Amino acid sequence: MNARLQKLIADAKAAWQAEQSSGRIRVRVTLDTSSIARGAEETLARLQEAAASRKIDADVGITGSWGFCWLEPCVSVRSAAGTHAVLYGNVTPDRVNELVEAIAAGRDLPSLALGVIEGNATAEIPLLEDHPFMKGQVRRLMANLGRIDPENIDHYLAHGGYEGFGKALEMDAEAIVKEVLDSGLGGRGGGGFPTGRKWDFLRNATSSPRYLICNADEGDPGAWVNRILMEGDPHLIIEGMLIAALASHADEGYIYIRYEYPLAFERMKKAVAQAYEKGLLGKDILGTGKNFELIVFLGAGSYVCGEETGLINSIDGYRGMPRIKPPFPAQAGLWNRPTNVNNVESYANAPLILRNGAQWWSSVSDAKEKGTKMFTFSGHVKQAGCIEIPFGPKVRTLLEQYGGGLSGDLPLKGFQPGGPLSGILPASDIDLPLTLDPYRERGMFLGSGGVVFFDQSACILDLCLFFLGFCEDESCGRCTTCHGGTQRAVEILRRIAAGGGRDADLENFENLIGTLVWSNCLHGQFAMTSIKTSLKTFRDEYIEHIVDKVCRAGVCKGLMPGRWARRAAPQPAAAAAS
Amino acid sequence: MAAEPGLQELRELVAEFQPGRGHVLPALHKVQRTYGWVPRAAIEAIARQLNTTPALIYGAVTFYSDFRTHPPAKFEVAWCCGPACRLRGGEAIREAIQEELGIGLDEQTPDHRFGLHVGQCNGTCHEAPQIWVNGRVRGNLTPESARDIIRSLRDGE
Ligand SMILES: Cc1cc2nc3c(=O)[nH]c(=O)nc-3n(C[C@H](O)[C@H](O)[C@H](O)COP(=O)(O)O)c2cc1C
Ligand code: SF4
Ligand code: FES
Repeated sequence: MNARLQKLIADAKAAWQAEQSSGRIRVRVTLDTSSIARGAEETLARLQEAAASRKIDADVGITGSWGFCWLEPCVSVRSAAGTHAVLYGNVTPDRVNELVEAIAAGRDLPSLALGVIEGNATAEIPLLEDHPFMKGQVRRLMANLGRIDPENIDHYLAHGGYEGFGKALEMDAEAIVKEVLDSGLGGRGGGGFPTGRKWDFLRNATSSPRYLICNADEGDPGAWVNRILMEGDPHLIIEGMLIAALASHADEGYIYIRYEYPLAFERMKKAVAQAYEKGLLGKDILGTGKNFELIVFLGAGSYVCGEETGLINSIDGYRGMPRIKPPFPAQAGLWNRPTNVNNVESYANAPLILRNGAQWWSSVSDAKEKGTKMFTFSGHVKQAGCIEIPFGPKVRTLLEQYGGGLSGDLPLKGFQPGGPLSGILPASDIDLPLTLDPYRERGMFLGSGGVVFFDQSACILDLCLFFLGFCEDESCGRCTTCHGGTQRAVEILRRIAAGGGRDADLENFENLIGTLVWSNCLHGQFAMTSIKTSLKTFRDEYIEHIVDKVCRAGVCKGLMPGRWARRAAPQPAAAAAS
Repeated sequence: MAAEPGLQELRELVAEFQPGRGHVLPALHKVQRTYGWVPRAAIEAIARQLNTTPALIYGAVTFYSDFRTHPPAKFEVAWCCGPACRLRGGEAIREAIQEELGIGLDEQTPDHRFGLHVGQCNGTCHEAPQIWVNGRVRGNLTPESARDIIRSLRDGE
């Protein structure tokens, strides 16, 4: 391996070792957007105060997410001897004192414990790996989360970080592409296109400079897997882009992060600055003569900027309108130069593939899609969190095992596999696997990993109104089919909800479904997916709304509440007036 | 309210940016970080600095929902419109807040103390339904607790 890299790694490992054997208690607070929403900054401050005032003799630091988002703030405590460590959840500011007292007394705090993460289980606290939420998970992308400080490049280097890049430095571009192709890695941004093939397009491009873009726009509401990675292990993404740069002879890279993720933006910027400092980015990387510049770019609130050509226009400074393809980005992308766009999670897998080999990487999954996939789940679930699991879990597993089941007492009505363009499926499809094909076959798509579950209190037409409203607001305005079509769909849905449904509305929807597919980009082409899919499986509910003027969930205020409604029927006089 | 910054001041602020380097959004972000919004003169200053037209810069400002063309309120309340928040009662939260403030989305109270706008899901769906007050999540709301938050902000001065 490159001698300079070897030294960086050796020094980082020595520093980590020294930290480990300091003889001090180590306390690590998960500090990410999810935990901060639940008071983690204050929890951290209290623990730091306790350490500063010598109430506890501990080294207090931060780390990334364990995926237990609904139980944040999570805090791990490792004994001074380093033989016993426990993860705690729900260490909110009003409960952190209990933990401080326990640490000061040198005992565990079983009431908040999630599990033992180092050493043996105790009589009161089982191993974390036996926690139902952890069973079946395979943490590769998330391996460092909860364990290292995301703002410290040495921590990353001490845990196999940049070793994949080190291997890639000794390979030629074609061999790197082959390794990634052999792994079977498909794009994690929704399409599943083989990542190795995309890198090969760029490798074979005939002009330069060439650009790499990391798509961290993660605009699908209900998806936060990319955020978890950026906030928890930013160097994994940088290393992935470095490997891609070697594979495709790229000169410059951009990480495009949505405006809603300020912490991810700060963490990525800090990580990039550290990588420059260590000579891993910039000119003459580690003395190899290779150059790669990396820029962290902040979006400004636009969903279609997640579409790769919209994103390119956005970096260029224009309105983020998706372009007409071809030409494809590999031919004429950023500044009309060859460009490759990949999702955060796609790049993040590259270091694992290079470090451990394509064989190791792909062997984890029985599905056609290889490797692990991160998912988040939300809606009417007890536990909204993030997991990493071999590709192809059943939707049911996400709901029942990881999501802890439904939060209310009503039965499941349906789910959305991934984002507002992906469509809506009924509860009877709960045993579908989360792989690409089943959704493609239904004219929808899997999406990027944010599954939303809903029970019978949800109204299908109201959900469609939300998704279509979202698509209307986010339409870039280029195509009449898309901006006009979504507007029309919203008008019709609003009218139905207000009690003005007409018999022709089902046909109106069919017409719109047929028209929007002519749109330029996937945003317009898939904007009607939620209506299209629900018209098939929830047709009765449309008819009730349009003909009977009943909303069974009692959500649409202009209609009579039906069997699942929690609101009472209006008085006859009021009903007659509406 | 502070006076609108002049062209000269703005030109100095954006002097580091260069044409043809993808600096439109970074320049706009810097302006908004500095003043809390993008004043009119900034459009001209950035256009000159980047050797392009005010029309193009203005086009970008209006395309992206996070650039403000007016000064922010003291408390900017973002209401999450995402699916988890909606499923868990987000609409009722919006109605309660609108009623409490007497304004609609994308409006400010006459005293400029409160502004209300739509926020996009940031992946804290475990706290649904929620709002963000000046960027901080206030979650697991009921219409009553949402009103209480607004009231205590109003009385907090
Ligand atoms: C409206 C729209 C929004 C999109 N948003 C994202 C996004 O937020 N993140 C993402 O990675 N891909 C998004 N995509 C897909 C990208 O265009 C592109 O296919 C993807 O970034 C390619 O990366 P991959 O091959 O690694 O999956 C979106 C597509 C459309 C049409
Ligand atoms: S389909 Fe919609 S988002 Fe895509 S280019 Fe056309 S108008 Fe813009
Ligand atoms: S839907 Fe509101 S935070 Fe995700």
